[in-house]
Amino acid sequence: MSVSREDVLRIAQLAELDVAEEGLPELAEQMSRILDYVAQLSGVPASDNLKPYVPGPDAIRFRSDEVAPTPLAFGPAVFAPAFKEGFFVVPKLGQFE
Amino acid sequence: MSDAKAVADRLVKAKRLNALLTPPKDLRKSLLAQAAAARPTGVLYGMPIAVKDNICTLEFTTSCGSRILEGYQSPFEATAISKLKAAGALIAGKTNCDEFAMGSSTEHSAYGRVVHPLDKSRVPGGSSGGSAALVAAGAVPAALGSDTGGSVRQPASFCGVVGIKPTYGRVSRYGLVAFGSSLDQIGVFGRSVHDAARVLSVISGRDSRDSTCEDRDPLRLPTVPESLQGFVIGLPREYFPPELDPAVRRACDRAIRMMKELGAAVREVSLPHTAYAVPTYYVIAPAEASSNLARYDGVRYGPRFDGSADIRALYRATRGQGFGAEVRRRILIGTYVLSAGYYDAYYRKAQQMRALIAQDFRNAFDRGVDLLFTPTVPSPAFKAGEKLNDPISMYMSDIFTVTANLAGLPAISLPIGRVKGLPIGGQLIGQAFLEDEMIEAAYALERVVPATDEA
Repeated sequence: MSVSREDVLRIAQLAELDVAEEGLPELAEQMSRILDYVAQLSGVPASDNLKPYVPGPDAIRFRSDEVAPTPLAFGPAVFAPAFKEGFFVVPKLGQFE
Repeated sequence: MSDAKAVADRLVKAKRLNALLTPPKDLRKSLLAQAAAARPTGVLYGMPIAVKDNICTLEFTTSCGSRILEGYQSPFEATAISKLKAAGALIAGKTNCDEFAMGSSTEHSAYGRVVHPLDKSRVPGGSSGGSAALVAAGAVPAALGSDTGGSVRQPASFCGVVGIKPTYGRVSRYGLVAFGSSLDQIGVFGRSVHDAARVLSVISGRDSRDSTCEDRDPLRLPTVPESLQGFVIGLPREYFPPELDPAVRRACDRAIRMMKELGAAVREVSLPHTAYAVPTYYVIAPAEASSNLARYDGVRYGPRFDGSADIRALYRATRGQGFGAEVRRRILIGTYVLSAGYYDAYYRKAQQMRALIAQDFRNAFDRGVDLLFTPTVPSPAFKAGEKLNDPISMYMSDIFTVTANLAGLPAISLPIGRVKGLPIGGQLIGQAFLEDEMIEAAYALERVVPATDEA
């Protein structure tokens, strides 16, 4: 199995996502299967000079630098989970490792 | 002009499908208000159009089929919605979908699975399964969906309706909740090619609010052709493997014969990197999703799942409880393939494969092929629960549709027959921004193919 229980916990921490302890073995197994499956790409020859393909225009289109009115029908006081005196209210900042 | 009350009644009657997320009371009230305000001169005057729940509307909440946006009322609406309203259409509620459009069966919604309109034991496809099911059930003539890897065409095929994914950049994505930003397009479902195409023509065209939307006029609808004289249709041999469901093959063979009878020249072509499309997609799409879904953290909008001591605990609790299993899995896969030490092996490699897949299409079109014809899905609708615990088997349902997203090309699925009563779709893939040619050929095929006959 390519993904261990510890790998899942490390990735979940990077993704800021709680994963349930009891779900870890199944998650590790499913992630392993998916990653093993997509790993077949490593066997396909491709030149290192191959430019990544992204659809859409070749260059960013410039437009005039004008301030447009906000399209919001109502502000964050309505849609935020907690909002006070113009600020989003959150718990105190934790220790970032 | 359809009667707003009758529209609401038809939608509420389809309740058994679990395809609509808007409560009946809200739907009725809004439809009556919209009908009173609709522009009588608009080209879609009075046409009710249901909208996938990942497209922002002011009339209804937008949950994306997720707990993390439960009850979320967007403060703005998508450009596609503004254009529909300006054309006189009625926004006929929000449709159930796989959470954040991640899935191929509409079983991954926090609000329950959508039922196939012809067989309640089966799935309608996904992720835009609610939109497809409502059109198939006759509740609305057209609906909007989104297509990142086949999420319009695959459910269109399963439900026996028409589904169009336009060229990347044809339709503004302002107000479409982002999943895989280099792949996503808003698409259209219709009972007929004409219904789907005329809705597409209304929502297409430039938009200063989306920098990936090309600076082009709206799509002009072609006329229905008498024949397919002058069309060269390519059949990619990789899309007709020996293990293809025999009924799907028979339906395709019949459609191919009919296109020949209409005067089209048909020739076999090869798209040699097709086999790598699904693994390529399942690196690129989760990578982009893990980045796009980082915004859901319980701070600025949507519900907050807390009881937490500090902000990181708040993020983790909200995301851990707010996202469902498939979304969590894809965020983790996406984070993994983008993390230090794995980026080159997975993400960079997938980007290279994407370039090769796009090159395959260019080679085919450079050799004089106008359009490609393929099955939309390798099989008819599968049973609910059949693939739920086997993500790779579920992903393989997209094998014939993901390539058009990877290459940014337009594609349409239309019904071409049935097997044991279940619809089968055929897909036409066009060249970038040549939707008119693709729609013209679809018109011709639709007129002759016995879409509801057994293949």
